[in-house]
Amino acid sequence: MMRIIIGEGSCGIAAGALKVHNSIEKLITDSDTFSLSSTGCIGMCYLEPIVDIYDGETLVKRLVRVTPDKAEAIVSAVRDADLTKVEDITISRDDEAFLLGQTRIALRHCGLIDPTSIEDYKSTDGYRALKKVLTSMTPEDVIEEIKLSGLAGRGGAGFPTWFKWNAARNSKGEDKYLICNADEGDPGAFMDRALIESDPHSLIEGMLIGAYAIGAKEMIVYVRAEYPLAIKNLEIAIAAAEQDGLLGDNILGSGFSCKMRIKAGAGAFVCGEETALIESLEGKRGMPRLKPPFPAECGYMDSPSNINNVETYANVAWIINNGGGAFAAMGTENSKGTKVFALTGKIKKGGLVEIPMGKTLRDVIFGIGGGIRNGKKFKAVQMGGPSGGCIPEELLDTVIDYKALAATGAIMGSGGMVVMDEDTCMVGMAKFFLDFTALESCGKCVHCRIGTKRMQEILSRIVEGNGKTGDIELLSELSLAVKDGALCGLGQTAPNPVLTTIRYFRHEYEAHINEKRCPAGECAALRRYSIDSEKCVGCTLCARGCPTKAISGTVKKPHSIDETLCIKCDNCRKVCRFGAVSVI
Amino acid sequence: MEKITITINGKIISAEKGETILNAAMRNGIEIPNMCYDKSVKVYGACGLCVVEAEGMPKLLRACSATVSDGMVINTDSPRAKEARKIALELIMSDHDGDCKGPCSLHCPAGTDVQGYLKEIALGNDREAVRIIKEKIPLPASIGRVCPHPCERDCRRKHVEEPLSIAYLKAFAADNDLASDAPYMPTRKPDSGKKVSVIGGGPAGLSAAYYLSLSGHSVTVYDAMPEMGGMLRYGIPEYRLPAAILAREVDLISAAGVEMKNNVKIGHDITFDEIRENSDAVLVAIGAWKSSGIGCAGEDLDGVIGGIDFLRRVNCGEKVDIGKNVAVVGGGNTAMDACRTAIRCGAEKVYVIYRRTRAEAPAEDIEITEAIEEGVEFKFLTNPDEIIGENGKVVAVRLQIMELGEPDASGRRSPVPVEGKFETLEIDTLISAIGQKCDPRGFDGLPLGARGTVTADEKNCATALEGVFAAGDATNRGASIAIDAIAEGNLAAKAINAYLIGMPIDFHKPYYSEKKITPEMFAGREKQPRAVMPVKDPQVRRGNFEQVINGFSEEVARNEAKRCLECGCHDYKECKLIRYANIAPVDPHRFDGSEHDSYKEQKLGVIERDQGKCMLCNLCVRVCSEEVGAGLLGLVGRGFATVIKPEFSDSSKTEICKSCGRCVELCPTGALRII
Repeated sequence: MMRIIIGEGSCGIAAGALKVHNSIEKLITDSDTFSLSSTGCIGMCYLEPIVDIYDGETLVKRLVRVTPDKAEAIVSAVRDADLTKVEDITISRDDEAFLLGQTRIALRHCGLIDPTSIEDYKSTDGYRALKKVLTSMTPEDVIEEIKLSGLAGRGGAGFPTWFKWNAARNSKGEDKYLICNADEGDPGAFMDRALIESDPHSLIEGMLIGAYAIGAKEMIVYVRAEYPLAIKNLEIAIAAAEQDGLLGDNILGSGFSCKMRIKAGAGAFVCGEETALIESLEGKRGMPRLKPPFPAECGYMDSPSNINNVETYANVAWIINNGGGAFAAMGTENSKGTKVFALTGKIKKGGLVEIPMGKTLRDVIFGIGGGIRNGKKFKAVQMGGPSGGCIPEELLDTVIDYKALAATGAIMGSGGMVVMDEDTCMVGMAKFFLDFTALESCGKCVHCRIGTKRMQEILSRIVEGNGKTGDIELLSELSLAVKDGALCGLGQTAPNPVLTTIRYFRHEYEAHINEKRCPAGECAALRRYSIDSEKCVGCTLCARGCPTKAISGTVKKPHSIDETLCIKCDNCRKVCRFGAVSVI
Repeated sequence: MEKITITINGKIISAEKGETILNAAMRNGIEIPNMCYDKSVKVYGACGLCVVEAEGMPKLLRACSATVSDGMVINTDSPRAKEARKIALELIMSDHDGDCKGPCSLHCPAGTDVQGYLKEIALGNDREAVRIIKEKIPLPASIGRVCPHPCERDCRRKHVEEPLSIAYLKAFAADNDLASDAPYMPTRKPDSGKKVSVIGGGPAGLSAAYYLSLSGHSVTVYDAMPEMGGMLRYGIPEYRLPAAILAREVDLISAAGVEMKNNVKIGHDITFDEIRENSDAVLVAIGAWKSSGIGCAGEDLDGVIGGIDFLRRVNCGEKVDIGKNVAVVGGGNTAMDACRTAIRCGAEKVYVIYRRTRAEAPAEDIEITEAIEEGVEFKFLTNPDEIIGENGKVVAVRLQIMELGEPDASGRRSPVPVEGKFETLEIDTLISAIGQKCDPRGFDGLPLGARGTVTADEKNCATALEGVFAAGDATNRGASIAIDAIAEGNLAAKAINAYLIGMPIDFHKPYYSEKKITPEMFAGREKQPRAVMPVKDPQVRRGNFEQVINGFSEEVARNEAKRCLECGCHDYKECKLIRYANIAPVDPHRFDGSEHDSYKEQKLGVIERDQGKCMLCNLCVRVCSEEVGAGLLGLVGRGFATVIKPEFSDSSKTEICKSCGRCVELCPTGALRII
């Protein structure tokens, strides 16, 4: 039987997948024998909406950037079993390579199954690992298997998962909690959202195995309220799992009982920090606690609690099914398995990528991601969002490995990979992230509350052309102090974008401060526009579009810009068809 | 509890397993700075001040939360810990807006607690006011009359209407104390057995003697003149400071244990060396008693006299023959004292010759006004060109007419001669009041500086001679106002005391937080003009030496004191922030940037909260929730903009607050107070 499946993750929906869905649905008649359903995100977000045509279990056609007006051609192609009718929207060989370069474990079901169907999940070995655990393994066996796999926390810190589970298991306490951190707040990161939206049962199964291992009776998923589709799909999955006896009392007749609930967070970045997350779960203001005591001893409701990130749990069932050894066979000496990255920025092919540890950044950015858009030059990649650092071109052969990335000053992070090209000002980039962390600081500790604010102010004056001699040194000193003195991960890592940009792009800071010049031409306050009188043909387009009437000149005569009136809106440069407007 | 052994700063101490480093340190009397810790609430860890370094630990530890382990070696003051603490304090200070002390106190050379004594005067507690004043000024009735009061210059009340009349209020309280049955007398420390000789019984010498005696030392003041007081006695005319008032204050200094020896001239009656041999320490406070010469032709003529020489002779009761027409040269307070004294000595015409204009004159404006009222004629923009004599006696002075040119180093426009323009005044006496010099004869071996003054260390008054200190007009930059001499006398007393007990002290000037002022802060205040000091009629007063001022009435004085805006922080003495900031010490403006709006609000009962001083330690929030159980306060906003408000900005909390005051008690700065 032919099946049409539409990618309806948030990325697909944003690109118009629901309109495509409706258009196709309207054309289907009772006599049609093919089916129409939806799936999650396959990871090629840049090609959305994606429509897959299956013959039975075999993918026979993948259509990309589908628009509603193609619905007729699609229905007709499937109805007539003539797929040449949709050749024009078929994925290219080059784009197919995006998936071929990956090893999908956490994302193994994403974009392939219907996330709202527990049957779909079960048909792909779903809940087999849970059955295995409940019927043939002790909690200690589970922890041992996870230890063997080398699985480490995918939220960014890379702490060994088995160690946390073991600590929580060994903590005294009747009521233990297993918590999932789905408060994905890094700008440019969307791994967790896509995972929950596309494969919620994989999270439930992974968490159940963890809950069994530590002895928890309740599981809580702390997810951002800004992820409505993830919450909806997870709610559906929880209900289905409860219905099937996979959640609640005496699961699968094993005697193990565990329930699950969702807590929607109100969107504070700091609540991604595990102790702040616990405070928020308890209904308090999301502010980090001092550690020790660690959550494994004294967490939610002062009970032993284990917190892992979505991606970490998504690996667990696979590890149980395939063995820790199979997972550990991938990767490097100190980083095992695979890692999911959200590839964004000035990259040609943006989306979700899962690759084994040990590949290089170049493999991801130029291999899978296809390099930089619009023929521009690569400048740097920001790893790990606001907590991470930027890595310059000369370090692109760095392998993806917790230690190797840390040595560059960046971090593995939760998987955000923001690619920047030659037009990106690195001081402006550092300021962008400091604007974010300064705003998202919970306000508790002095270093983060005031320190990040001061760093942001210094960066602001530099990009506005008011930087002073000594500002780089002051920034560096303050950065190290904040790193050392801040209470939680948010503050301790907030200076990373500043420190790495100073380390690799110090000349850009110096140009801003000493020459009042932005080498990338991005900082508006430092931009100076001029019109090349040889190139200008006097078409008047720029003058007519100038909001402050800063451009003057007569028709067919070269125009000129009055810098005192120019507000650097960039409009003239954008509209000029002769390349006559240049920025100094 | 299991006992373990740890080392803090090289000291081996016993600690309990599981307790925090901060606890172990506190129990053993080792201070680790902290601002967000209090034993009555849970550990919070926000201020970042309690960081310490432990051997083998890569990161700094927060002493409030890190627990001790057996054999732990901790350094609370390692360079890394101190640097981290310093930056934390600098960050806190960069968002701190408050006055530790009011501008009055900061501008008083002696650092008098002006706000403190004004409050007592307002409440009618003059004796308590005098006690506060006498912590810094042993001659308040005298100083209150003669001081040019730098304290009043930046009094914040001037932004409402006019500064407070601080100096006269000081005199008011001191007069009442002197008039009481038992004027204030502090207790003297037990005898130290040390002998200090003070040479010179002026404001510097008397102040040093007073405080040294109270510290238990045996002090003798030697003075060349018949009575104590120095320039206060012989340089200030009776009509400004009656000798009887000064004498009563000098008597109180005697009563505080100071031995006074008058009519003793060093090098004549006793040698400097003899005094040094007989004393454990010596203070040279001999003042500046020589008038500076005018530097024009005719200055040696009969009838040309120095301003302070003239004042001294009059104050000694001598009838000085000055004739009918007198010219006084100079624009300072000595010139004013001289011209007004000349009027009182019977001169018919008195001129003041000053090379700039009234605006540039260093004399107090009120002095110029009162001189004019008494008939003195001011010849501004003139300068003596030649003093003309006949038979060796002054008959006239030729004046060069001046005009103002470009500003000079002092910022004042400098006078330049108008070529060819002169004026001649017929005079009998010319009094030169353009400056005074130190006369160090008799002090062999005491090193002098370029200006002929005694060279003394400005930080501790020490001279190059062992055990010899110097203070007041005789030192360094030379003559200044009385309160400067008193300030130096106080400093000398501290330094000498430290020297005698062998305890070196740190003399570096402390850092004080100062508030940024905007006109809006004073906008809503009711205007209440400054109290005017009643004075005698010019026509009456010019004929005698009676005191010009009549003094404040009780009602006027109390109301005037109530005008004080109480700028200084009520919590200055208890404030952890300023104490740590001075220990570090911080560079408080290194991280200057935007600040929280500085406002005061009264959201809970009688508790006032000053946002400018809050450093978000959250102790108030926590104690209200954890200990009191009321939970009325909470944090509102995010990041830098976070502030403390009634929980969830719920104003109904106001009514629930029982004003138990625990939040105020725990506040480490002056951000909270009960009003």
